[in-house]
Amino acid sequence: MSEKELAIIRDIPNNDWFVSGHGACPGCGMTIAVKNIMRIIGNNSTVYVPASCLIVVSAVYPTSSFRTPLFFTAFENTGAVTTGIKAAYRRLGKDATVVGIAGDGGTFDIGLQALSGAAERGEDVLYVCVDNEAYMNTGIQRSGSTPFGAWTTTTPVGKKTKGKRQMKKDMMDLVIGHNVEYAATLSIAHYNDFVKKVDKAKRKSGFRFLHVLTPCVPGWKTESAKTVEIAKLAVETGMWTLFEYEDGEARATYRPKQLLPVTDYLQLQGRFRHMPSEDIKVLQRWVCNKYYWHFGHEAEQPACAMFKGEPEMHFDGDPLHGV
Amino acid sequence: MFEVRFHGRGGQGAVMAAQTFAEAAVLEGHHAQAFPYFGAERRGAPVRAFARVDDKRITIKSQIYEPDMLVIMDESLLDIDPVADGLKPTGSVVMNTTKAPQDVDIGVAVRCATVDAIPIALETIKAPIVNTAILGAVAKICDLVTIESIKTSINDRFGEKLGEQAARMNSLAAEMAYARTVVGICKGERTIVRPKVWLPTWKELPQGTALGEDTLSGVTVGPGGSLGNYTGTWRTITPKYDQEKCVRCLRCWFCCPEGCIKRLEDDHVKWDYRYCKGCGICANICPADAIHMVKGAMEP
Repeated sequence: MSEKELAIIRDIPNNDWFVSGHGACPGCGMTIAVKNIMRIIGNNSTVYVPASCLIVVSAVYPTSSFRTPLFFTAFENTGAVTTGIKAAYRRLGKDATVVGIAGDGGTFDIGLQALSGAAERGEDVLYVCVDNEAYMNTGIQRSGSTPFGAWTTTTPVGKKTKGKRQMKKDMMDLVIGHNVEYAATLSIAHYNDFVKKVDKAKRKSGFRFLHVLTPCVPGWKTESAKTVEIAKLAVETGMWTLFEYEDGEARATYRPKQLLPVTDYLQLQGRFRHMPSEDIKVLQRWVCNKYYWHFGHEAEQPACAMFKGEPEMHFDGDPLHGV
Repeated sequence: MFEVRFHGRGGQGAVMAAQTFAEAAVLEGHHAQAFPYFGAERRGAPVRAFARVDDKRITIKSQIYEPDMLVIMDESLLDIDPVADGLKPTGSVVMNTTKAPQDVDIGVAVRCATVDAIPIALETIKAPIVNTAILGAVAKICDLVTIESIKTSINDRFGEKLGEQAARMNSLAAEMAYARTVVGICKGERTIVRPKVWLPTWKELPQGTALGEDTLSGVTVGPGGSLGNYTGTWRTITPKYDQEKCVRCLRCWFCCPEGCIKRLEDDHVKWDYRYCKGCGICANICPADAIHMVKGAMEP
């Protein structure tokens, strides 16, 4: 393409296609992600949003916050509907980007079959998963994306159980398993990385998947001002890894020099406040394993903060395993 | 039939207050129902909750448009929301304010009970959640419930959800508010302006949803799309910008969830305070310390 590639914040076009006046909570991480993705994608696009916080805050009848065409049907069919919209554009001879923006419930659990279908067919759509790690819209129920130990209304904290007992589902691994054109994880606190990846996804054709971690103020029980700080800590502690998958290869785009202990990330969030130290150890071990699996093939590995001096981490030689 | 409408902000506990009030009425031998306004408004936004009390079974299920009593949990709502809309002239109002009843102006001159609930809430439950304190004031002005039934109901409802200690502190808040409540007559000078709501039928909607390209809001349905929804009324703290210190990194422009930070030609920024919800992210991430949050919803 002849247009200049975007690399830093300053390159983002100064046009808002997701406008003010939406009803999201103050400090919402999802709207930061959506707003900037829409700025980069531009108005030659059609957006599909399934049931999620996003449709509730941005499309209250009879108004909408998107200045592009917006479509909404059911929860489970983001992959299928975006496929259909793209097919219609192809028939009409129009070249427009079709974006599906689904939450983690609409991607990890309910929308998985449609996503898998579209990814396998290699449809020319851009799929964005805005991941706030639970069903926040309906009042904080656990999803496949909720991390280990987190409190939700369906993984309560009491005498017998202390939050979610399962690890977070590895969505990127599932998507990459479909051999897609492009897949990347994004963080709203790593701005230039964010810009580059969204721009790259916009330029490619074929099935593209962007996975954004979007902190949720009421669901994570955090302070509204700390949304971006928490997103940054997620990366610095290894709870969230920034990498992209392109041409059959996964590549880390940002590696912290020294992994911070997960407690730095956990202590800012009320949903982890109850966590006993054994659980924190389990989570830390999972993070370290994930990190070694992910970056183990590269020469320099950041030291795993909490487990220095303990037996070496298991690494099975597969850089994509447990990403 | 006695109908009560609760006005609060998301997170203040208006829904819990309505439910606790209804439960107290049931304890007094009445029939009652309570339900929230079902909308998409989130934390900090003006919210409503409703309660109905009657001596026989209640079959009506609608929202309450002509209440007998209003409970206003945040004084600032009076300026942004037509709270007194439909209040009966024979009705009454309970309000969380530092003012005396005769200094309060809600737009209808009715019996008024005022209490400064925030210090009470801070003293007892250590958080500015005024729902239980305001119920103490409700018990003072409303004959249907007594302070005893309110306290029992708080113990039931909060004890089950939040534990015994929280229940005790919350019922103490109600008791303290009951003692401090002042009853009088409020002023009715304010004009109540009902917002014009544009709710077209499907036949009136623009076809497709596409308007012309030069239209301000592109294809946003309706006049102006969500730009007509001024979310700045949610704000309790306001960002203050110091252009001298600004290094034009544009991080605040990137990180504003509302998109209310506008980028100027020279990469300085400007706030559109009509939409700013006061989350404080911009002040938190600014590397040059050029943004500070100041208390209050005013524009600096």
